Amino acid sequence: MLNPLLRVVSVMTLVLFGAALAAPVFKVNQPRGLDFTLQNSPTPQKYLIETMPGGVALLDYNNDGLLDIFLVNGGRVTSPMQTPEDFDRHDPKYWNRLFRQNKDGSFTDVTEQAGLANAGDGNYGMGVAVGDYDNDGYPDLYVTSYGKNILYHNNGDGTFTDVTAKAGVAAGGWSVSAGFFDYDNDGKLDLFVTRYMDWDTKHNKDCGGNYHTYCPPEEFPATTNILYHNNGDGTFTDVSQRSGIAAKKGRALGVGFADYDGDGFTDIFVSNDGMQQYLYHNNGNGTFSEVALEAGAALSEDGRRMSGMGVVFQDYDNDGRPDIMVTLLPREIYGVYHNDGGGSFSYRSLETGLGVLSSGSSGWSLGLEDFDNDGWKDLFVAQAHVLDNVESIDPSLHYLDTPLVAMNHNSRFERVDSGVTTPVAARGAAFGDLNNDGWQDVVMTCLGGHPQVLMNDGGKEGSKAHWLVITLRGTRSNRDGYGARVQVNGQTRFATATVGYLSASDKRLHFGLGTAENAKVEVVWPSGIHQTLNDVHADQFLEVREPEKQNR
Amino acid sequence: MTRALLLLWFAFHTPTPEAAEHMQAGMAADKQRQFDVAIAEYRKVTELDPAFADGFISLGQAYMEKHDYGSAIAPLKRALEVDPDSTPAHQLLGYALLVQGYAAEAIPHLERAQEKTALGIAQIQAGQLPEAVANLQAALNARPNDPDILYYLGRASGLLSKQSIDTLLGGYPDSPRAHQAMGENYFVLRQMPEAEKEYLDALRLRPDIPEVHLELGEVYAGAFQWPKAEEEFRAQAKLQPGNAEAAYRLGAALLEQGKVHEARMELLRADKLMPDMPETLYSLGKSASLEGDAAAAEKAWTKLLSIEKESSLAAQAHFGLAGLYRKQGKTAAAQHEIREFQRLQGGSAPPPAPGKEESPH
Repeated sequence: MLNPLLRVVSVMTLVLFGAALAAPVFKVNQPRGLDFTLQNSPTPQKYLIETMPGGVALLDYNNDGLLDIFLVNGGRVTSPMQTPEDFDRHDPKYWNRLFRQNKDGSFTDVTEQAGLANAGDGNYGMGVAVGDYDNDGYPDLYVTSYGKNILYHNNGDGTFTDVTAKAGVAAGGWSVSAGFFDYDNDGKLDLFVTRYMDWDTKHNKDCGGNYHTYCPPEEFPATTNILYHNNGDGTFTDVSQRSGIAAKKGRALGVGFADYDGDGFTDIFVSNDGMQQYLYHNNGNGTFSEVALEAGAALSEDGRRMSGMGVVFQDYDNDGRPDIMVTLLPREIYGVYHNDGGGSFSYRSLETGLGVLSSGSSGWSLGLEDFDNDGWKDLFVAQAHVLDNVESIDPSLHYLDTPLVAMNHNSRFERVDSGVTTPVAARGAAFGDLNNDGWQDVVMTCLGGHPQVLMNDGGKEGSKAHWLVITLRGTRSNRDGYGARVQVNGQTRFATATVGYLSASDKRLHFGLGTAENAKVEVVWPSGIHQTLNDVHADQFLEVREPEKQNR
Repeated sequence: MTRALLLLWFAFHTPTPEAAEHMQAGMAADKQRQFDVAIAEYRKVTELDPAFADGFISLGQAYMEKHDYGSAIAPLKRALEVDPDSTPAHQLLGYALLVQGYAAEAIPHLERAQEKTALGIAQIQAGQLPEAVANLQAALNARPNDPDILYYLGRASGLLSKQSIDTLLGGYPDSPRAHQAMGENYFVLRQMPEAEKEYLDALRLRPDIPEVHLELGEVYAGAFQWPKAEEEFRAQAKLQPGNAEAAYRLGAALLEQGKVHEARMELLRADKLMPDMPETLYSLGKSASLEGDAAAAEKAWTKLLSIEKESSLAAQAHFGLAGLYRKQGKTAAAQHEIREFQRLQGGSAPPPAPGKEESPH
């Protein structure tokens, strides 16, 4: 027998949120001033890099309270490619771009004045990571490339300085997704860089016979990922070998961070393309062990290798433990590894409903965000096939696609109208509240096209669903609080900006509260300090400052 | 074998002494694979003793050993004029004619020699497909797993099938079966919209036509349209409640949609209709595992492993068991299953997802 009060709440929830589902979740917006085209420069040579960019970051680089947008560009690819490789990044057409948000929701291109023009002629852009590596209160940028990566220090005055050489984080080869996190809990953000494969334009291959397609990853040798330790003096040390990260080669595309076994140290999940996935358990002593197979997070339910693309490492079923979702190619089902506790995962793609939702699509960036503020994280996937001529090979597949937006109903996902009607070649996607209305928005990048800004107003005017957005302010821990475990009314988020594929989300932590007007907030900081805030009012942007020491 | 027959033959037919000398010289040269010398010697034999059939047979055979099949035909025909019942002559002439493309002319000789493989091949070329299938099947019975015979039997069967379908399409183009056949053609060619249309036409004309719902369901399953696939498999299962494949396919389609309990019921039905099918057992284990019935999952996968020990399904069963044991905290058992899984992968990478093998990237 259902408690009468619960029944009322259930009915209210249905009225409040069920109605919202009928309307499209997002409105596709073309904000004034956001003038950017992702130049991937496809050629008949089918150089693999052409189909892989580009990342997007949502960050408040000038701390004015409004999210700004950083977009990574590809570069000019010649047909055939000349050596030495030069992607014409000095040409403004191929610059990465920083757009400052104005108070009226429009954007101003501040790339040049911010010192972010020309990402280096030998670098074909891929992704972006955001983190305050020097704890000065301003988010810094790390841009990955096929070529050399660049670390831009945010000077706090609206400008950035390329500090790559001093920091020693240029990497090389083909870097893809990257992210800042603090693996040794020393209060300084370290840097993880995924690399796709050992490939260059001179050794490109033409696959698909007469169809001439981009080659599958198995055609090229695997390579290692890179872990940089932050020395705290503006320099980093490559600890890939020492830490065990480089012990295994892979074909990495995505990376996610969370402490999956609750031992207080942030672990790493790396999505690999066409092979098993990697779960690096943080041993707490500066080393990592790759445990995906024994933990049940390496392969599909049937023991098959997968084309891992993007990854998100968050708790979808509100059991307090971070789960893993991986986007894949058609004929696979987006992977859902449920964290069962005890360091073990089980594959739950079918139970969560993703069999029907995903088996015909290719996914890239993805996010678990509560788009209807009902207290359950929903799923967004940027979708499009790898091959720009896939229809001629298999008419049942499509190159261009619309994103998947699926609402989370008690851990089962159901597709809803995203509001995006025009199929695009989507790649990157980042999540955040662009207009500070308490509803999570999305910015998605598209090959050869403009970024799509998807604004979420809750699907209706005057919504009663409540929310809370938390900014962590670390003191003993890193200033961004990356790695913190934050619980709000039974929901859990693991603080990170790294998301999906090539992208970085708003570092603020968004929680939907449903009908609750107050919240209990519990934070476990990377320093180990536990902090609890009771009776926090809903519908506010809350800064939670880490206590200097544990209150008793 | 031909050489043995010839030796036997010589024992009963003696040539003139001079011809016999050349015969011996020819055989000696033949043995040393000096075919031109052998041919010259045998030619002398036929000139010295034109009534000696074996001389012509040896001459023809020497040409054939030299791969000069065209030159072999005349002496072999001459041998049969001298001795119409010569089995070696029929056999060699049948081969020579077949190699030269005179299949119809070769057939009576190969029939006389009871050379079923070559006869079947000749009959394929002559368009005598039912006879070819029968003869090649007989040849396969005598030499099981012979790759050449397997190939030609497959080809003969395929051509026979095509012949039959061509007759159907030519004579009854608007019949349900013609639409079904067209649907199957398009399905093989991966032209799925066309296949779907043909199958739907077949069903429109004859809603209870056997197998079409199953085939249409496969079209939808291939396009990941699981609800539609479910509908077709369900229709097939309703038409043919005793069809184990329909029950299995329906169960699999339900499983893909996460309708776990219903899938399990259907898979149990499939297993009852046709017990111990490895595919059914694997999916049955999977559905039981998804429902949290670890004991039933373990039972199904263990049963599968008692039937198949080295296949990819066996590897998947080991992988599934590893997951079960991991959840139960049986670490050692889980590790054992993972090792078995890895062993069956041959230490190499696990297989890609089904259908991905042909799909670029």
